[in-house]
Amino acid sequence: MSAPPEIPCDEAVRRVYEFLDSELDATWQERVRRHLEVCRRCYPLFNFERAFLEHIRSRGHPVERSEELVTRIRAALDETG
Amino acid sequence: MSEDRDKVARFEAEALVHLDSLFGLALRLAGGEKARAEDLVQEAILKAYRAWADFRPGTNCRAWLMTILRNTFINEFRSDQRRPTPVEFDEVGDRSVFAEIQGIDPEGRFFDRLIDEEVIRAVDELPEEFRIPVVLSDLEGLSYQEIADALQIPVGTVKSRLFRGRKRLQARLYEYAREMGYIR
Repeated sequence: MSAPPEIPCDEAVRRVYEFLDSELDATWQERVRRHLEVCRRCYPLFNFERAFLEHIRSRGHPVERSEELVTRIRAALDETG
Repeated sequence: MSEDRDKVARFEAEALVHLDSLFGLALRLAGGEKARAEDLVQEAILKAYRAWADFRPGTNCRAWLMTILRNTFINEFRSDQRRPTPVEFDEVGDRSVFAEIQGIDPEGRFFDRLIDEEVIRAVDELPEEFRIPVVLSDLEGLSYQEIADALQIPVGTVKSRLFRGRKRLQARLYEYAREMGYIR
């Protein structure tokens, strides 16, 4: 017989991003972690949300080039001296 | 004179090499508006140049420039800066994409099929109050506290905007994926 989850699903789900961002305090991080160990409904949801965040972040830092901007900035710096 | 040339040369070598990163961040903060992003980068670069004496060589120049850019955006370029805090209400609700998709793609593999442009467009289309925290957290890697400090809002507000912003973003990506046939 497994121990019942200490927090209900909605308490875990509303903290999904704080948990995945490691922004919860140690007590809550542990509560959510333990909930996920035993909850068959929340575990896949958290996995899905983790995949989503990793996807957004893996796009990496946006880098874009604007030649006009380079020209403008060099001119502005020349003026400033 | 030669001191000036030296300053320009050092600034170019250490700071201007980060121009593309700065512009990338500026574009996302400005929701894809190119002209506004260019003005923002120029303003931030000029501020950095004037404050160049304060920059300590050997420390992270890119991080220093990003902070100047971020603060310049928040203080001078935000379109919502004079509006009262909008009601924290979201008609999209906290609709869970997972609930709809768990039967066919519970691991979210469809995310990998989306192309960069679709992701960028979805970020740019977020309302500014949600877009800024999402960009600062997920693209810039700032902590909740750092975002709260930068935006001068409580950490609780950062949490709720990140939550709603990400849910909206997720819902939009899901829509794209369906439109493109990545999800049957």
